[in-house]
Amino acid sequence: MKRHRKHLHGVTSIDYYACQSGLRQWNGCYKVCAAIVILILCLLLDNPWVSMAVILTMGVVNLRGNGVSFPVYLGLLKIPIAFLLLGGLGVALSISSHPMEPMSISMHWFYLYVTRETLMEALQLFLKAMGAVSALYLLALSTPASELTAVLRSIHMPKLLVELMYMIYRFIFILMDVQQGMKNAAISRLGDADFKTSCTTFGQIGGNLLILSLKKANTYYDAMISRGYEGDFPFWEEKKSVKAWQLVILGLYITVLLLIARITSVIDK
Amino acid sequence: MRGEILNVQHLSYGYPSGHLALSDISLSIGSGERIAIMGSNGAGKSTFFLNLNGVLKAQSGEIYYQGTKISGKELKELRRHVGFVFQDADSQMIASTVQAEVAFGPMNLKLSRDEVEKRVTQALQYMDLQSYRQRPPHYLSGGEKKRVSIADIIAMQSEIILFDEPTAALDPLSADMLEQVLADLSREGKTLLISTHDVNFAYRWAERIVVFDRGKILADGNPLEVFLQEQVLEQAHLKKPEMLKVYETLSEQGLIEPESYPREAGELAKALIG
Repeated sequence: MKRHRKHLHGVTSIDYYACQSGLRQWNGCYKVCAAIVILILCLLLDNPWVSMAVILTMGVVNLRGNGVSFPVYLGLLKIPIAFLLLGGLGVALSISSHPMEPMSISMHWFYLYVTRETLMEALQLFLKAMGAVSALYLLALSTPASELTAVLRSIHMPKLLVELMYMIYRFIFILMDVQQGMKNAAISRLGDADFKTSCTTFGQIGGNLLILSLKKANTYYDAMISRGYEGDFPFWEEKKSVKAWQLVILGLYITVLLLIARITSVIDK
Repeated sequence: MRGEILNVQHLSYGYPSGHLALSDISLSIGSGERIAIMGSNGAGKSTFFLNLNGVLKAQSGEIYYQGTKISGKELKELRRHVGFVFQDADSQMIASTVQAEVAFGPMNLKLSRDEVEKRVTQALQYMDLQSYRQRPPHYLSGGEKKRVSIADIIAMQSEIILFDEPTAALDPLSADMLEQVLADLSREGKTLLISTHDVNFAYRWAERIVVFDRGKILADGNPLEVFLQEQVLEQAHLKKPEMLKVYETLSEQGLIEPESYPREAGELAKALIG
């Protein structure tokens, strides 16, 4: 049986959640800094307890603060989890010509084995990366692209790069819209009747996508020109000041993470 | 006749492919006029609008804004005075919130922050969009997007507003809202040019109709003059407005006041005899 196609694609929904997030009114620079600091702490402290704390707290913030529903958040985490599990497997498994303790699997020519150390290492790596991913989701789910470009501009990133980034981001949506429309039109005419037809349809959509997107891009450019665009995006930015209590929360959070790292490392010794 | 605001002289525009989209167009537009631009697909309506807005630059011919000839650098100036509401509202949406979207034009005009804020608030109020301020425009419904795209232009406070087929793809409620907005804008003295295929709307709303056919102006005059020329209607593939047909049928049977030419149901009821 065929699975039903999902209507909200990944990227679209991230953008959507960013716009309706409860943290939308927080200062953009603050959010970027917070996400980066948490990410760096996660990587530098390299402590599974800290990572777990970050995964949990970021999860709560993303669900509560950013207003993402649990199934959606799980869906967003699915792709990184799949990658990390595969990567973790690579770290955990080692190859040997003879059986090893405590666990090895015979693969006829060689043995795959797992030791306690490699397993722990894989788990730690997995947790560390998941913590980092959660911290980045905190940023992605609370900060729309235009706000991000404003932050980049305020740290004096070259104008050309910032604008290029925003345009590319916008055009991803145009491309996806166009592609979705063509796909629906193709499916409604049985363009996916069997595997071979599906492949042909896919190719044709790909070809048309280029032409159609070029046409659309032209119209978009005309629309920008007609509203006085002169090679510069002076986007409206709302003034969102950082409040003292927000800084205090971040400070407390970092302290707690550092404390966890300290305490667990003492216990381990 | 109110003062002339825009004058187009012998305008010709050809696309790079060699296809001549406009040839030798001359038109004088009075301040505050309500003009419907009609004609079949590919007659040159959209190209004409893009030229009026200074997005496209004509190969030959001149455009005068309030008596000043527009050339080269002043094309940008033209964009300040002429606003363009695109047919597909999506193609206008650029920012990620309605507020930033409406502010895009005023920001490009290099206005002060306070002024931008004021204009955005006004425009949102005008289009009844206050509660959408923080919403991402891409996820709004078709009618709401249309409203945002009109607010975009209202915030720029251009004297002339071009609408490219504004009623296309709107539900009846949104279309009514649009007509209300057009009436308001007209009352405020804005010059409105609307390209449309809707003969009933054009007959009801416009005070002047310009018919394009294969890049040339086929007819130009008040709605009655245009719609009574059978040959024009045939050549431009236009249909006669229903209200005009009803009038003609009733007139044949002597049931309506002669020369009354009602434009809408209310006027028709008044003009009926007996």
